[in-house]
Amino acid sequence: MFQDILFICSAILVIAGTLGVVFSKNLMRACTLLLGTLFGVAGLYAVLGADFLAASQLVIYAGGVIILMLFAVMLTGGSADKANKFGIEKIMGMGSVKTYVIAGLTVLVFSLTIMKLLASFLKGYQKLDELPAFTSTVDKIGTMLVTDHVLAFEISSILLLGALVGAAVIARPRRG
Amino acid sequence: MQDHVEDNGANMISLPSYLFLSFIMFIAGLVVMVARKNIIAILLGVELILNSAALNFAAYTRFINQNLEGNIMSLFIIVIAAAEAAVGLAIVIRFFQLKESVHIDDATQLQA
Repeated sequence: MFQDILFICSAILVIAGTLGVVFSKNLMRACTLLLGTLFGVAGLYAVLGADFLAASQLVIYAGGVIILMLFAVMLTGGSADKANKFGIEKIMGMGSVKTYVIAGLTVLVFSLTIMKLLASFLKGYQKLDELPAFTSTVDKIGTMLVTDHVLAFEISSILLLGALVGAAVIARPRRG
Repeated sequence: MQDHVEDNGANMISLPSYLFLSFIMFIAGLVVMVARKNIIAILLGVELILNSAALNFAAYTRFINQNLEGNIMSLFIIVIAAAEAAVGLAIVIRFFQLKESVHIDDATQLQA
């Protein structure tokens, strides 16, 4: 019962935040709504029993990425004024109603086709009640990270170091 | 988890509902990436798409096979998204210093 309530709340948060990111005109508001979406995804991870994943989602996204995005939005002066409802500047040859209707229908048809194909493979899916009970995943993930996936773990540490140094070098103001 | 209050087969926590939520996030991210003209807004769409992929991995590892490989993959997706956001926003800030703009159509030259 508690899982159902958590799932419904997280799903509503995800859908509302996602639609807000799409339709919000103000970029600061879109960043904040994306934070709502990420909280909802963390709740969905918690329903799935992935506790370590939910915690790291909250820490990394809420503490790191969204703050970084908000800093970038504020440093670059917010959103532009000459934009329509979708945040698109009025440029000739794009952004008319016809092109968006056609593009949206195409995306919908493609996606529904793919999901229909997938659904035929997944007829015998299990419900959550029939699955083995929840156990903590932290110790298993820690063991797997230093045994089976140790190469990916080390490479990701090198990637993070490179990203850190690269971001500092790129964003540094140059003189002369 | 063990309380079978009503077992009429209408449990909504299942793999298709997770796939549906992830599908909505993916399509919204795609629409944001295509329709927005601000570079930071495009990065928001990239974050949405990466999150939908990570959610799919976690859902499949819970409902199909109960090992934790999908959780590991979602963890690496989160790490890569953090690195991508850091470098991308550094590029955006540098671009704004050079061109005084964050419009995607102004990004035509590699060298200022």
